[in-house]
Amino acid sequence: MPNRHATSGLITPSRRQFLGSAAALGTAFAADMSTLDVLQNPTFASELKKQQKHVILLWLAGGASQLETWDPKPGQPTGGPFRPISTSVPGVEVSELLPKLAERMKHTAIIRSLNTKVGDHGGGAKLMETGRRPEPGTDFPDLGAICARELGRRDSQVPDYVSMYTSTEGRRKGTSGFLGSRYAPMFLSDQMTPKNIARLESISVSDHQARSDLRSLLAKGFAEHRQNDLVASHNTAYQRVKGLMASETLFDISGEPDSIRAMYGPTQFGEQCLVARRLVEAGVPFVKVARAWWDSHGQNFETHRELCADLDQSMSGLLDDLEQRGLLENTLVITLGEFGRTPRINPSLGRDHFASAWSCSLSGCGVRGGSVYGKTDPKGNTVVDGEAKAGDLFATIFEAVGISTHHEYYLGSRPVPIVDFGCEAISEVLA
Amino acid sequence: MMFAFRSALAAAVFSLCVCENLFAENNDPASAALSKLIDQKIDAANQDSNLTPAPLATDAVIIRRTTLDLAGRIPTVAEVRAYLEDPAPDKRRELVERLLNSPDFAFHQANWFDETLMSENRADDKWLQYLRSAAAEDRPWDQMFREMMVPPTDVAEDDVSQHAKTFLKKRVREPDDMANDTSRLFFGVSINCAQCHDHPLVEDWKQDHYFGFKSFFARTFLTKSDKLAEKFEAEVKFKTTAGEDKQAKMMFLTGDTVDEPKVEKTKEVREAEKKLIQQATKEKDAELPRPDFRPREQLVQVALKPDNQHFLAKSIVNRVWSRFFGHGLVHPLDQMHSENPANHPEILAAATQYLIDNGYHLKPLIREIVLSDAYARSSQWRDEKPPYVDRFAMGQTRVLSPRQYAISLIIATSAASRFPLDMPAEEWAKQRLNLEKQSYSLANELELPTEHFQVSVDEALLFNNSSRIQNDLLRTSNDRLVGQMRSQDSPIEQVTTAFWNVYGREPNPDELAACREYLESRSDRTDAAIQQLVWALITSPELRFNY
Repeated sequence: MPNRHATSGLITPSRRQFLGSAAALGTAFAADMSTLDVLQNPTFASELKKQQKHVILLWLAGGASQLETWDPKPGQPTGGPFRPISTSVPGVEVSELLPKLAERMKHTAIIRSLNTKVGDHGGGAKLMETGRRPEPGTDFPDLGAICARELGRRDSQVPDYVSMYTSTEGRRKGTSGFLGSRYAPMFLSDQMTPKNIARLESISVSDHQARSDLRSLLAKGFAEHRQNDLVASHNTAYQRVKGLMASETLFDISGEPDSIRAMYGPTQFGEQCLVARRLVEAGVPFVKVARAWWDSHGQNFETHRELCADLDQSMSGLLDDLEQRGLLENTLVITLGEFGRTPRINPSLGRDHFASAWSCSLSGCGVRGGSVYGKTDPKGNTVVDGEAKAGDLFATIFEAVGISTHHEYYLGSRPVPIVDFGCEAISEVLA
Repeated sequence: MMFAFRSALAAAVFSLCVCENLFAENNDPASAALSKLIDQKIDAANQDSNLTPAPLATDAVIIRRTTLDLAGRIPTVAEVRAYLEDPAPDKRRELVERLLNSPDFAFHQANWFDETLMSENRADDKWLQYLRSAAAEDRPWDQMFREMMVPPTDVAEDDVSQHAKTFLKKRVREPDDMANDTSRLFFGVSINCAQCHDHPLVEDWKQDHYFGFKSFFARTFLTKSDKLAEKFEAEVKFKTTAGEDKQAKMMFLTGDTVDEPKVEKTKEVREAEKKLIQQATKEKDAELPRPDFRPREQLVQVALKPDNQHFLAKSIVNRVWSRFFGHGLVHPLDQMHSENPANHPEILAAATQYLIDNGYHLKPLIREIVLSDAYARSSQWRDEKPPYVDRFAMGQTRVLSPRQYAISLIIATSAASRFPLDMPAEEWAKQRLNLEKQSYSLANELELPTEHFQVSVDEALLFNNSSRIQNDLLRTSNDRLVGQMRSQDSPIEQVTTAFWNVYGREPNPDELAACREYLESRSDRTDAAIQQLVWALITSPELRFNY
């Protein structure tokens, strides 16, 4: 039996040391934070670019159709009205609804062989968010929380995980599970800026800082002779406030040049993609932008004509902007939802939930651009080559951004592998 | 996870023998020997490893810790002062007795049940009423278990006992959730691990256990009239690791099985039963199906058999212990099996026997734990490295639950005159109910602590920038601490008032100097300065934690 005393929790010795020292430093630590505004400091920003990997997850909530995006089936009864088009990579075709992304296929890998079996929204979302089936009593973290923990800086002044989900349909906050709320998402639902991030007008900037310093002084007295991770996490949370409040400007795109805004398009999704780029540039390791209303049980083709245009414009703008800034090589952009849609077209001209043979895409960091993995049969009903599970996709994502797929977390004495049992990365799509 | 259920049973039987010996010298097993025994065992173990425990905490810490733990709130200024001034040698015992019998106890106990059993931070009013009524009369835990498993269906609409159903109702969509959460929360065993972890010793029966336990819940459904009912039949089938299809047999964790009497039914009877179930799920005033054989009733019976009931008793003892020490006698709390032995097996055995001897009433157990010296030690450790938590050699600094913190915030920021010492019990019960209600919405913004909890930056942002903190807790009206401080003339008086209100103590010289300077340098905006000072006090860990 493993020694329980050695593995008292998730916190590794280095993290424990960090928290301990942060608590011990008290006010001194807080004072150092005043120098931090990463966007204002070009040296620091370029250093971050070199070191840090990022993930932007474009979450297609409700389930986008693989046939109208990454896996068209021309000439089949299941194919629908849209044609496939060739892309900038010879031999690779995608739906004509994605003309701009087709031109940028050199950045993108397509996986056409997801067979994830779970076809209800709640269960499918949980599976594709965490990379494994839920177990009652074990609260698994989602992809964002894992990336926040593995890619984030422990002393980061910016958020680790930002999740934007403005629509009401299937709104999901995301969960840091057993990793603890240090890695919980900063969730934006009602507005474009995070809750409680702006100072109240009734208090001046200097008083806001002064009362915080007074708080630190009282906290320091309390921490004396108390080596305690929980108390340290409380102080760390308060110490991060100033940096996070400074990041309020990251959510404000009004200062972006029109030429940049035009790349992303005038939609809310486009604006949120632009916010995602700003966040990544400032050092945020994981940003999720959710775009809802893909659940096209009726009028699938009209729905996809509209939503794919939005995705095509915004994601193309995002890839171009990241590339121009030298960020794309360190930023992985994912398109994913809870499942795909049935090849069968129902009497309402819709497609229903379908988890047995569907697609997702990976672009940028660590990806072999232009590669296509896996194959479905001519009608798109089954995977005929390279079947991939949710856990395989997660392993691939981890490899792409340099997270070891052999990593384990410890829940007490129980090891929980970062990737679900029996899953491995799809090396064919990795650079 | 390694689940040697048979060995776990053996361990349970073994530990029973141990505790019979422990109480052999004492003819009255329900006597107050338990708190002494707790200290004897912990002290002896620490002596063996040359560990000198922390000294006992000060009176001010004792009343704060105990009031938070038993009443779910910080003590009022009047309570602290009265306790400090009380010269009685056994005032700690009197304090515990007063708190156990206060209206606060039932409220806090109900909140604890709710957090433990529902693991979410939303108050369901009917469910809380059920828990409060049970907590108020210290209803035996085995009886509460029975009520939650088999909620009465024939009682009046306004009878709170029917809301025991909430436990299963919230999980009724998933038999796996009903099964695993019942096993985890009532028996301290997370059975779902038995699905996916191979263990050479348990290979041949672990799936039988998992699916056997799940079988008790396979027939449970919620009727259109919101009653928890059971179908006439439903089987749990599974594929064994060898690939065979197998039908599960209802089975308790010990391997004890339940046989369903074979009844031959005609086709007509089957059809009629089917129809009854269909109607019950669709029509509000449909007849309630009443099968003769009810699997959940069977689970209660098999779980409470003399040979099996130690699962229920040990698990609740362990959870109660963990509530007061921040760590279980067995830890994690849902890993009670032979591969994960208790850190102090004799204490677990004795406390389990004590609970059973006391008819599963939790209050006597709580009293004994809280009266131990182990509970009363200082949470500060002056040497380099504090001892591991399972030595119980010092007090643990524990984060408050959202409701404890929210209620304590209201008390800390209210004018002290709102809570006089001589308030009649009935009046105080009303006040306490108000505090509960006032605190819910703030509590719901805070995260419920779990095993690997960390305070989130969302909480820090909320306290920094939310108008609700500014406009509610820091209001300048006379019934508030800020209002009370406004009416005082000197900064020293103001700072002292604030420290007593929020921390129940005098400020030390450094604190007094810093706070006084803070107020004096803002004489052009005294209201704002007072609000900022109170803000700094209530967001400091000294209020956020139970130490």
